[in-house]
Amino acid sequence: MNNLWTTIAHTAGRRIKSKTFVIATALMAAFLIVIINIDNIIDSFAGDSDDGDTASEVAVVDETEAENGVSFGEMLASMEDGTYDYSLYTDGNIDAAIEAAEDGEFEYVLALTGDTSNLQADLFTSGTGFMSGMEINQDVQRAKEAAATAQLDLTDEELAMIFTPVTFNERPINGDGQTEESQMQAYWMVYGLVFAIYLIVITFGTMIATEVATEKSSRVMELIVSSINPVTQMAGKILGIGVAGLVNLLVLAAAAVAGFQLSGDDFLQSLVGDALDLSLIAYALLFIFLGYFLYGGVAAMLGALVSRAEEVNQAIQPLIFIAMIAFFIAIFGLNTPDAPFIQVLSYVPFFTPQLLFLRIGMGTVPGWEIAVIIGILILSAVLINLLAARIYKGGVLMYGKFSFKSGIQQALRLSKKEN
Amino acid sequence: MSLVLKDLKKKFTDQYAVDGINVTVEKGQMFGMLGANGAGKTTSFRMILGLLDPTEGSAEWDGRPVSYDRTNLVGYLPEERGMFPKLTVKDQLIYLMKLKGMKKGDIIQEMRQWLGRFQVEEYENKKMEELSKGNQQKIQFMAAVLHKPELLILDEPFSGLDPVNADMLKDAVLDLQRNGTTIVFSSHQMRNVEELCEDLIMLKRGKAVLQGNLREIKRSYGMKSISVHADYDLGFIQNIPGVLSLEKNKNGATVKVENEAVAEDIFHGITEKGFVRKFEVEEPSLHDIFIDKVGGEANE
Repeated sequence: MNNLWTTIAHTAGRRIKSKTFVIATALMAAFLIVIINIDNIIDSFAGDSDDGDTASEVAVVDETEAENGVSFGEMLASMEDGTYDYSLYTDGNIDAAIEAAEDGEFEYVLALTGDTSNLQADLFTSGTGFMSGMEINQDVQRAKEAAATAQLDLTDEELAMIFTPVTFNERPINGDGQTEESQMQAYWMVYGLVFAIYLIVITFGTMIATEVATEKSSRVMELIVSSINPVTQMAGKILGIGVAGLVNLLVLAAAAVAGFQLSGDDFLQSLVGDALDLSLIAYALLFIFLGYFLYGGVAAMLGALVSRAEEVNQAIQPLIFIAMIAFFIAIFGLNTPDAPFIQVLSYVPFFTPQLLFLRIGMGTVPGWEIAVIIGILILSAVLINLLAARIYKGGVLMYGKFSFKSGIQQALRLSKKEN
Repeated sequence: MSLVLKDLKKKFTDQYAVDGINVTVEKGQMFGMLGANGAGKTTSFRMILGLLDPTEGSAEWDGRPVSYDRTNLVGYLPEERGMFPKLTVKDQLIYLMKLKGMKKGDIIQEMRQWLGRFQVEEYENKKMEELSKGNQQKIQFMAAVLHKPELLILDEPFSGLDPVNADMLKDAVLDLQRNGTTIVFSSHQMRNVEELCEDLIMLKRGKAVLQGNLREIKRSYGMKSISVHADYDLGFIQNIPGVLSLEKNKNGATVKVENEAVAEDIFHGITEKGFVRKFEVEEPSLHDIFIDKVGGEANE
């Protein structure tokens, strides 16, 4: 037991103190804070450069027939939009306006032709701002609607009737279904967890395998396993890397909280708001934990089969493929959580953490089924770790060219309990 | 307290790596295990340490197999040296010795003492990879003895060391033995074995080809070596029956003979020829015995 703690402390301590870990964690934390505050940062830059004059200049070349004495160009020019500053261009035709825009007088040139019933608008842009076409189109549309309603000579009530927005609500068909809000929340949580498991498997699985392989290739392994049971050592490695991972996640979580504090955004509020399903969080933690053990055991086993650290990537590839497949199935399944193949695949231990969580979060799974599937997962995690421990015990004494089949056979032979 | 290997066997696939060896090493003894590469030395050590399970027979220290609940009694220097290259000398000794159940304070105290003895105090906070190979080996040796084991297993402890460092290590090993440590070691360098151990076993393909007390082995070993210094050609000796080999050198020749009777024949032959400045019958060196027992048959 003592040696287990020593190994956990050693593994975790070495990771956490390593420059790579510190720098990577710091960069990720900084990145997270920046991403969360990206709006503010962009705003502050935008504010600086334009200095109060934030609206883009749009030259309007109006070639439409004026009706009721008001032209579209004038209507647009009188619009107080804030984003675009429309001004009627009267110094020449469309070509002259484009020339002026090229000289930097305007950012956009908008040419209007036709009449109210058949209005055509051509927008000339310098190519930046992919939203501008849509936004200017809306402005022109509004101007046209205003012109049309003006022509119809409607009263204020009639105008209000047209322009008052619809009150639109989404409700679940059956009473106990999820509300839109909790559905959205579940969607993002499932998405987040599926992604998290994928990242955890790839990052920490590789870390475990590398750790084992490095100790093997530096030949310190034989010395270690002469003092401590390889099985205890393997467990210590998996837990130690887990602790390092936990520290990493806690730092990132702290960075996220700090980021939201800085931005003053209430996203965090909305995430952990009243509608938050605590059981979903509990499931998420359980699946991360079990998934880590299942994949971690296999990773340690694969690490023990190779002799050199360079071979780790080759050895761990199948595991990463499985994680990738689970990832894609889960992402696909977000839209069809109750599809039969998702239900079936959620029984497969390597897919269970992602797919069962998907089913619980996005749909309804009977309690007994959850219990059965989690039971299968726990059982297979234990079995796989027992098998991994056997192979690990033989594998750590084994050197030579890496091959799955003969490697596993040889490892089992070496760890064979005789008599 | 003694180390007892009883009919120890280990089979891999279809071949015995260790094929029925019987050894008893009493407390405080220094025991040598000799053999060519692949003779089964490392496999035997691994079975003594409990890293491998014997196919048949047993390897017991103090009446029962070494298991993980008492690895603190055993020290091991593996043949394939290796520590954590990126860790400092201090950090890795702390980790490895904690696994042996030592407390951090004791580890540091013992470590400083040994660093002093090996004259490498300045490496305490250096990374292992920055040390020379010889100095790495000193640290590796410390990892085997810092916890004061009862049983110390040294697999090729002197390989790759310069004479000064080899002597330093030899002294340390002898000191440990004087303090009651039971030591089993293997070596290719017969000179080291002759200097250090009283009892030995010579392995070939997992089987003992020679075993017992070193002095007795030498005395009773039929083959003798004769050193002759004379000024005339000694080539004729080769024709005397019972002569195994003749090796000429600048002073005369070294002759290997089957037994002492042959030595007498040679002596008579030489005195007929003329004056000899030296004629000495020597017991064979372990090196000769090793070549005779292991090397010779290996060429079959």
